[in-house]
Amino acid sequence: MKARWDLVLVPSLIISFVLMITSQLIFLKSSLFKDLGLGRTGDEVVFTNYIRFFTDDFYIHVLWLTVQVSFLAMLFTLIFGFPVAYMIARLRSRWAMVLLAGIVISTFVTIVIKVFGIYIMFSSSGIINKVLMGSGLLEKPFTVIGNNAGVVVGLMHFTLGFGVLVLYSVVQTIPRSLEEAAQIHGSNRWRVWRRVIIPLSLPGVTVSALMIFNMCMGAFTSAALLGGGRVFTLPVLIQRIVIMEVKYSMGGTLAAILLVSVLLINLLSIFLITRMRKQRLVIT
Amino acid sequence: MSVSNDASAAQPGRRFRFPVVKISFFSFCSLSYIFLLSPLIIVIGASLHRGTRYTVVQFPPDGISFYWFTQIPASHWESLTLSFSLATLASALACMIGIPAALGLVRSELPLKGLISSIFRAPLQIPSIVTGVAFLQMYYLFGDLTGIYINGTFIGLLLGHMFVGIPFVIGTVGAVLQRFDTRLEEAALSLGAGRIKTFMKITLPVIMPGVYAGGLYAFMVSFGDVPISIFLSAPGFTTFPVELFYGMENDFNPAVLASSTLVILFSLGLLLLMQRIVGLENLLRSGGGAG
Repeated sequence: MKARWDLVLVPSLIISFVLMITSQLIFLKSSLFKDLGLGRTGDEVVFTNYIRFFTDDFYIHVLWLTVQVSFLAMLFTLIFGFPVAYMIARLRSRWAMVLLAGIVISTFVTIVIKVFGIYIMFSSSGIINKVLMGSGLLEKPFTVIGNNAGVVVGLMHFTLGFGVLVLYSVVQTIPRSLEEAAQIHGSNRWRVWRRVIIPLSLPGVTVSALMIFNMCMGAFTSAALLGGGRVFTLPVLIQRIVIMEVKYSMGGTLAAILLVSVLLINLLSIFLITRMRKQRLVIT
Repeated sequence: MSVSNDASAAQPGRRFRFPVVKISFFSFCSLSYIFLLSPLIIVIGASLHRGTRYTVVQFPPDGISFYWFTQIPASHWESLTLSFSLATLASALACMIGIPAALGLVRSELPLKGLISSIFRAPLQIPSIVTGVAFLQMYYLFGDLTGIYINGTFIGLLLGHMFVGIPFVIGTVGAVLQRFDTRLEEAALSLGAGRIKTFMKITLPVIMPGVYAGGLYAFMVSFGDVPISIFLSAPGFTTFPVELFYGMENDFNPAVLASSTLVILFSLGLLLLMQRIVGLENLLRSGGGAG
């Protein structure tokens, strides 16, 4: 008798399916009712919330800002993450593991604690302002708390560690021998990067970039804390509207819009992955 | 290996022709480490500084004092206990659901396998804040129907945390299963071991690294989560990160630095322990969230 592994899966599937479908359907449905504030909702299906979202400058601005900071955070994560991933993947010594562990530990500690560190660093008597003002570079304290730059820094703390780990597996798919071959044939380092490393890692990097962008779009904690109540990205606004203003259906609408935009980006990356597979480009 | 050695032997000095490039590359990389690790080092350092109530936060500290570690309020210990038991149970449940799911996905020829797999992966695709809102509304509706409200209870938090933990276990266990040599099982079966015995003695030990890795991811995700817990916890019944989150928005108690330091050290210890048991390479191979 052959083992029926498909039956083994059924209970798990039911649990996952029920939790996902019920939770998602309920909030999607609630987003269709008119929000009367204070937890009350209308009882006929209208699209008021959605119309409001797309006609109100405030909400459009929030969506646009979310896209902007996510894009910047993604870009910087790639710029800072890729060299580190490359370095770790190419190191032949035990240091590679130590360096990886450094990345892992930073992603394992909750972001709230890291934000504490950032607060202390950037406080007016903090180490950064002491150095910058002491050296006369700055006249008044500089901060990243409560402005867009801070939100980007916060998002990067959320994504950089993850980004390095993903990009590390991308670099590992590029055979070292190709770089060596290019070097033997007289390419200098820069040329090896331009002609071998970057083109070969581009498909994997594109997919990683979309993943990182998605993480940023949905990131709540770091955006909320470093935004300091002044910068609203979509996730921050969702929490505020649901918890402080108790507008469940408007919150549901915002969540639905966030969900749909994130899923669209995911579809795009799945589409890219399948296309690259067809072209026999190796990606993870 | 040999190729590169030959190359450098044939052209001595080639590898070191541009030390400037190499040095600037390494210093650029070290920027990322400074960026990622400095907040943690600063929190640990500042927690060792003994000061008066208002000048307390200082880095680097003047000398070492464990004063603030004795001042950790009871509410922190309570929320730490809650976070710890929640993360432990959530990762255990995620393993119990994720292991059979991974077995089924890897070993059977299901119709619609892609769809089923994406249902299992969905919690990773949905932003946590959306999961939080969705679970809260689901609990409200469930409460309206049955009279049992589980928002703000342990069960409510547990379900949400388990939900996001499952895909990590499926990812890591699935990765191990794909490399599994099924002849091991066939050997056990042909030598007379029953299905259950084969599973316990052969399958489970082999997939254990995947279980540890997935369990660890599920644990850490739960232990550090804010966006889900913030909706599902209640005043006076919050997880540690949510308590810190509210604490940061309102009043600042320096003892927070001490309890945060304990959490950092705990995470470090857990990672070292797992590294001992399964090895970092195993921990990362499956890619966790990336998979």
